[in-house]
Amino acid sequence: MTAADEPKGPLSVRLARGLFTLFALAFVLLPIAWLALGSLKTRNEALALPPQLFFTPSFEAYTAIVSKGFLGAFGNSLTIALTNVVLTLLLGTPAAFALARMSGKVQDNLSFWVISIRMAPLFSVILPLYVLFKGLGLLDTKIAVSLAHLTLTLPLAVWMLLTYFRSIPEELDQAAMLDGASHLQILTKIVVPIARPMLASVAIVVFIFSWNEFLLAFILTARGAQTVPVAVASLAGTMSFDWPLIAAVSICSMIPALIFVGFAQRHIVAGLASGAVK
Amino acid sequence: MLDWRFWFVAPMVLALGIVVLFPSGYLVWMSLTHWLVTDPNVYFDGIGNFRVLFRSAEFSSAIGVTAIYLVASTAAMLAFSLGLALAFRSPRTPGALRSIVIMPLVIPPVVAGFTWRFLMNGEMGFIGAFLLPEIGIRTNMLADPTGAMISIVIADVWSRAPFMFLIFLAALQSIPRDYYEAIRLDGANRLQEFLHVTLPMIRPAIVVALLFRVIDALNTFELIYVMTKGGPGRATQTLSLFGWKTAFQNFDFGLAAALGVVMVVVTTVCASIVYRRFLRAPA
Repeated sequence: MTAADEPKGPLSVRLARGLFTLFALAFVLLPIAWLALGSLKTRNEALALPPQLFFTPSFEAYTAIVSKGFLGAFGNSLTIALTNVVLTLLLGTPAAFALARMSGKVQDNLSFWVISIRMAPLFSVILPLYVLFKGLGLLDTKIAVSLAHLTLTLPLAVWMLLTYFRSIPEELDQAAMLDGASHLQILTKIVVPIARPMLASVAIVVFIFSWNEFLLAFILTARGAQTVPVAVASLAGTMSFDWPLIAAVSICSMIPALIFVGFAQRHIVAGLASGAVK
Repeated sequence: MLDWRFWFVAPMVLALGIVVLFPSGYLVWMSLTHWLVTDPNVYFDGIGNFRVLFRSAEFSSAIGVTAIYLVASTAAMLAFSLGLALAFRSPRTPGALRSIVIMPLVIPPVVAGFTWRFLMNGEMGFIGAFLLPEIGIRTNMLADPTGAMISIVIADVWSRAPFMFLIFLAALQSIPRDYYEAIRLDGANRLQEFLHVTLPMIRPAIVVALLFRVIDALNTFELIYVMTKGGPGRATQTLSLFGWKTAFQNFDFGLAAALGVVMVVVTTVCASIVYRRFLRAPA
């Protein structure tokens, strides 16, 4: 373990660290607690000040998700995010593998092109995409949003996988070649099985990205293919400020991400950090 | 040379070509046309849109707002996440604490924006109408130009700092312990340790984090959209909000495209400088 500093040190340092940790926890937890409590309150209770900490929880807001027709948005988000994950991995895995086995100028320029897309301002892609999808009659469809999300998720996935594939020794490929395997077989039979944990965490990161994305979904959809974040935004635009319902939809919108992250937190954190730092 | 690598890369290049390359080319064309959705006449207009854009007061105000937001939120986020990473760097820090701190990472920014808007609300928000008046601040945060910007920066730090925190934590944990032992033998104090060991060792991580942050900040839309819609007045109207308003409220696609072109040029120049100097993948 190369981890550095032990948490001792002079009293003043320990005190400062403790106070800062407390402040950070309060800062991070306040909005989450506010959401969780708000979703269990009635509208009047939710708006009361000073806030009521003790109340009889009501699940009215959660049943309202179903009765007010928000399940459709959850279905849309799920379809869009899953389609996007499949497309991203199908296109990104072979590309990242090939890039990892290239060298020289071509590889350098291609990698730069891919990462530069991740850096391009989203706004400049949206306008032409809107016109393009409108021309194709694809506005307000799930496939349009899935495709549009590729602009964000494909570069991200390629970048994360590229770093990882480089760490798989090339001797492995050569050994398989001697046994007469094609490159496609090397990819599917050797590289993908080795990279399974990494592929899983890329899939999760991509899923969360697509699930949480707002701007593209907001502009490319109307009512039919509305995703959860867009539904949340439209809810608060209405005249009646129904905080418990907004809070309940928000809490439910976090469930898939929390489940996935709970399963593979270590991999995701490592993947995000390596994709970002290396 | 059409070897296997070509066929492996081609589908991705094709897909990105359709969703990115084609739109970028089209964006340039759009920026050179007079294109109002409400006006059936679409015609070539040369640099007319750029001329209008550079003269518009709303554009210069958006640049100013974006710069203030960029600097304020980046500074606050850097301080908060670096502090957090330093406080949590010890391997003995309970894993649960770390999990709590990175929770906002999976919460949609729209939800973060709403929750903070409600918390800051001057009539019924816990912070805006209860905590702040208790300590003598009676400004209605979201209705006041400075207050609105502060609220957005707070919500932004809440929502995006965890990502920066993870980058810093990974960097801090990879500093060899000997370095600290060596400088301690030389009689250095805590501050000197930080300045002469910690900071130089995590410099590359800071550069990367800043690069991601700058791009993120230029793209920030939903957080501001749900919190203030760019208001009060134009106090929080950044370039992305200005672009959205131009395209989808005033329906001036030509002018919005011109703004898009300007934004692409600026970010590409910045990104390629940083990439060539710091990010180039190890061969």
